[in-house]
Amino acid sequence: MVTSLPPRERPPGTETAPHAPHPADGGGGETGDPGRRGWLPWALPAVLLVALFFALPFALNARFAFSAWTGFRSEITWNGLDNFRMLVEQDLLTNAVTVTVLYAILCMAIQNTVSLSLALALQRTDRVNTVFRSVFFLPTLVSPLAAGYIWRGILDPAGPVNSFLGIDWAWLGEPATALLTVAFVDAWKWSGLITLVYIAGLNSVPRELIESATVDGAGPWTRFARVRFPLLAPAITFNVAVTLVGALSAYDVIAATTGGGPGDHTRALNIVMRQQWGQGFFGSASALSLTVTLLVIATAVPLVWWLRRREVTG
Amino acid sequence: MRVVKYTLLSLFAIPWVVVPFWLVVVNSFKPAGEAAELGLGLPRQWAIVENYTTVVDTGDYLGGLANSLMITVPVVLAVLLLGAAAAWAYGRGDSRWLRATYFVLSLSILIPPSIIPTVHVLRGLGLDGTPFGYALVLIGTRLGIVVFLATGFVRAFPPDLEDAAAIDGASRPQIFARILLPLLRPVLFVGSVILVINVWNDFFFGLFLLKGQDNATLPLTLFQFASGTLQTLQWNLVFAHVLLTTLPLVAVYVFAQKHVLAGLTEGALKG
Repeated sequence: MVTSLPPRERPPGTETAPHAPHPADGGGGETGDPGRRGWLPWALPAVLLVALFFALPFALNARFAFSAWTGFRSEITWNGLDNFRMLVEQDLLTNAVTVTVLYAILCMAIQNTVSLSLALALQRTDRVNTVFRSVFFLPTLVSPLAAGYIWRGILDPAGPVNSFLGIDWAWLGEPATALLTVAFVDAWKWSGLITLVYIAGLNSVPRELIESATVDGAGPWTRFARVRFPLLAPAITFNVAVTLVGALSAYDVIAATTGGGPGDHTRALNIVMRQQWGQGFFGSASALSLTVTLLVIATAVPLVWWLRRREVTG
Repeated sequence: MRVVKYTLLSLFAIPWVVVPFWLVVVNSFKPAGEAAELGLGLPRQWAIVENYTTVVDTGDYLGGLANSLMITVPVVLAVLLLGAAAAWAYGRGDSRWLRATYFVLSLSILIPPSIIPTVHVLRGLGLDGTPFGYALVLIGTRLGIVVFLATGFVRAFPPDLEDAAAIDGASRPQIFARILLPLLRPVLFVGSVILVINVWNDFFFGLFLLKGQDNATLPLTLFQFASGTLQTLQWNLVFAHVLLTTLPLVAVYVFAQKHVLAGLTEGALKG
């Protein structure tokens, strides 16, 4: 999936070879094989929509981030690094970057630990496992916003978790646990889907390989570490990249649970971005948005590259 | 060994799935004071009718439901159709333009959309704040993944069937509708599952791109409703709204779960 981003090279000749012997080649322009140019119209609607609502905003964002643009004046003018300087002076940017990166790492760690464990337990497709898979998929259907409200209730100082543990702790209100707790809610929401991707990855490991390793005397841990884990690399690449990248642009769960608090302990980049936008500071909001994009690129590119190398070398 | 495993899984399912869903359901049946205790016991006093009428009336549930349907259904259909058409082109054709645009489409999967310039673009088109503009943005930002998955799928099949149909005189739209779409069904199904969950639950984009109570989708009405009582959440009402917002997807899932799970475990990593 995401692990093979660049278009695959096809061997030379395969493109035209199957069509060459066809007697109807002359009329091919109107029918099945429209030739090299004829394919573009089929991609065009998708390309236009992606150009207009992904590529153009992406390019514009790089300009707006360095522009004076507020709700109080209509002109958008270049102002260099002023937006970033202002955000740093207000102690907003550095904290937001730290919170966002920590949050993404926590989400990724919790989500992949839970999902990989569940996938290992539910790998075989039988009736009982199907029921469990079905149950553990349910959180994925809940919107991130609703998930935030649900867990805000469960983790309320008066809620079921505290009454079960017999303690009185504001999980979302104390600086020590707030970020970890919000990351947990995010992981909870996506775990069902990630589990299924891991199950798909596990089941693509050839059974004979596991069996021959067992015959050779490898114990369950060795079998996992030496055989399944390396062959699971494509699924791990995908899941780690997807969960990190997704969590870097987190907003919904934080908005529903802490709104950025206590203090600024869960104030991730997008939370600050929305606040700046709401106050009419569109330029600095763009600067924060660009920071998210840069973090994503800085995370995704080396990660995909490194994990793909590991896939090959095992 | 199996008994131990299933016991552990069941024990894990209690805090992970059962408690969250039960807490929502049972507390949405209680009056405000009792729900504030956030207990897991059955209501001492039932307030089902009161709570749910309040949510439907003041939480604007029905309006939100209609708006969510009017956005989700066309967006998902458009992404699948346009995505399949583009995947056919990328799977079969080869030119500099196709390669360049495919690269941009692939990037759009990983890089988060820039929401603020998107508002600017929509303003330029006169679509700022409208459901139509919101739908167009959702289509444009969700197409990448479907095109990417479906292109891999198209490439895995030799073009023999299409060639044979072309020799028999079938037009390209006919070939697309009769051969390509049925061929892509597994991958389009997986795509539609992910899309429906993603579009139905979208809150972040709606927050920036939809204006006015009349256009609010369910996540937005839930947020407004909960924010109205932000300091002390009225848990009975918030949970009733959460339940009603989640219910449509759960209802679809109950009927389609077999296909959803099979599709995601078998079809997700292909291509």
